[in-house]
Amino acid sequence: MAYARPCGDFKTSYAQDMALLDIRLYRVGFVLLAAGLVAAPWLLGRWIFLLNDIAIFAIAATGLSVLMGFAGQISLGHAAFMAVGAYSSWFVTAQLGWPFVAALPLAGLSAFAVGAVVGLPSLRIKGLYLAIATLAFQFLVEYVIVQTVSGMGGTPVPPLEIFGRTLATETQFYYLVLPIWVGGAVFATNLVRTRVGLALMAVRDRDYAAQVLGVNLLYYKTLAFAISAFYAGVAGSLFAHYNRVIGAEHFSLAQSIDFVAMLVIGGLGSVWGPHLGAAFVRTLTQILKIAAPLIALYVPLLGRAAPSLREILFGALLIGLLIWEPGGLARLARKLKRYVDLWPFPH
Amino acid sequence: MTPQFVLEGTVIGLAVGSIYALIALGFVVLYKSTKILNLAHGELVLFGGYLAIAATYGLAGWLPAGAAFAFGIAVTLLVAAALGFAVERAVMRPLFGQPLLSVIIVTLALGYVIRGLMVGLWGAETRTFPPIVPPTVVEVLSVPVSLVGVWSAVSALVLLVLFSLFFRYTLWGIAMRAAANEQLTASTLGVSLKRAFAYAWAFAAVAGAVGGILLGLWLGVNFALSTVGLKALAAVILGGLDSIPGAIAGGLAVGVVETVVGGYIDAFVRLFGQPLHGFKEVTAYLVILLVLILRPHGLFGTEHIERL
Repeated sequence: MAYARPCGDFKTSYAQDMALLDIRLYRVGFVLLAAGLVAAPWLLGRWIFLLNDIAIFAIAATGLSVLMGFAGQISLGHAAFMAVGAYSSWFVTAQLGWPFVAALPLAGLSAFAVGAVVGLPSLRIKGLYLAIATLAFQFLVEYVIVQTVSGMGGTPVPPLEIFGRTLATETQFYYLVLPIWVGGAVFATNLVRTRVGLALMAVRDRDYAAQVLGVNLLYYKTLAFAISAFYAGVAGSLFAHYNRVIGAEHFSLAQSIDFVAMLVIGGLGSVWGPHLGAAFVRTLTQILKIAAPLIALYVPLLGRAAPSLREILFGALLIGLLIWEPGGLARLARKLKRYVDLWPFPH
Repeated sequence: MTPQFVLEGTVIGLAVGSIYALIALGFVVLYKSTKILNLAHGELVLFGGYLAIAATYGLAGWLPAGAAFAFGIAVTLLVAAALGFAVERAVMRPLFGQPLLSVIIVTLALGYVIRGLMVGLWGAETRTFPPIVPPTVVEVLSVPVSLVGVWSAVSALVLLVLFSLFFRYTLWGIAMRAAANEQLTASTLGVSLKRAFAYAWAFAAVAGAVGGILLGLWLGVNFALSTVGLKALAAVILGGLDSIPGAIAGGLAVGVVETVVGGYIDAFVRLFGQPLHGFKEVTAYLVILLVLILRPHGLFGTEHIERL
């Protein structure tokens, strides 16, 4: 069986040409992946919480990947959009008493609206200035959270209820988040293949040229911000009901930088990037959360350094990746595949 | 807002602002010569503060208090300069010519590493210098200011003048300005761009470290000091990203606005009957947003016309 694109793989119909999984390997691989994800609660046992955690952050990172990887706009305030989603979800369920099924899309839509407003200045300012503007937005959102709703502590969020059934266990939550995760990923993958995605990439590569070719910059830049915020809003809503407590510290600048780190580690401009990156970053975070007290216990000399180990490790990893492998994990995987394909005569 | 409140705010704001201006100066020099927006600048400030305190305490065993402080500062400045050179050589030079996104992210990552190392080595609690300056309060224009504050402001002003003279008259100052102004021309006329970039990084690190020491003398050092880097960012945006006088004016202005407007809102304005705590801390970000919306190139920055 061909594990790469075989010779003489002619496409004889439009349907074949447009298929997302165009060779058998991909179709088989996708089915296996889907089966593995569905069966994950049995495979992982009580570690399923890790996959829940990854899923939530991967959804948000997918949004940022549309904005940064495909539209080329810099956002250092992605966690703030997540906060918008989380707090609208809290407002809708806890204050208005509406069900979660209504809260989830409303959270996405409110983040979408805020994203469109924040994205508007991207036409007037870009590059460095845009990064700074989103940074300022991030701080203002944190300030508003502390001042108005949560204070320095957290706000309790009601448990997840779907059609009268409360989702209490990790496994139940997993089956809620899995379709949203996969659906979001497939939507993003298709989005970047359609007119919208091509326009966004044109904007990323050279905005003057895109404008000349008839791409409406205002519309597409704003749209990119809004879509990315929509994903963040949905992830924020899921996070709020999963974590049951939300506060300013969950949506801090450090979280925003984490999202950027996920994209860089996973691979900018790749549809697999945000998922690989989120998996890597969240797994490492959880491992360090468990390992840090152990390090402090057994190597007292490093006791003080243990809590900041994560920052140092992530920073060093980002610097190393940007210098030696700017394509991230997705690019490494492609290189590996190419190596296997061409072995033993790589010429 | 009584005249007395405004006067007090202005005096204290100018004192704080002079330190912001010094930090912002390092930022602008780096941006001017390398076009790198250094989001790790706050961490350079943190680095200076932590290292100076550690060096002062480390030397206190062998030297009298004053000498230990002086040597501690000298050591800190040397190490900061070395750090600047090292960062340029190890991190920035391989990324020369890379997209803006990579460069911004790499400075963020650098900030992570520096802050992690500082907090890891010396802990997260607030650390203070040994009492070098007596904790007395002096009156400036009939406004009570702590003596440390006055010293900090005066040192910042002196250093600002010295740095301006350096860029105006010394060979390397002129070479760096030339490299900043027109890279290609400067390099054909014999300015080594690599060295100019390296000096710019060293200068940024030293300016940041001095800012950290002065703020540390006044308020003590903890990991939150790195947010001062973002206030310097506000100063720089207000003054114009590529203008040295702009950075100084912007720093002073941010200091005054933060103390007068932020302090006023903090103390007197009620929202839904609740006092707004900590508004002072976000004033700088509001300044950033306002300037970016109204006049993105700042007060004195080059207007880069792009109709898009």
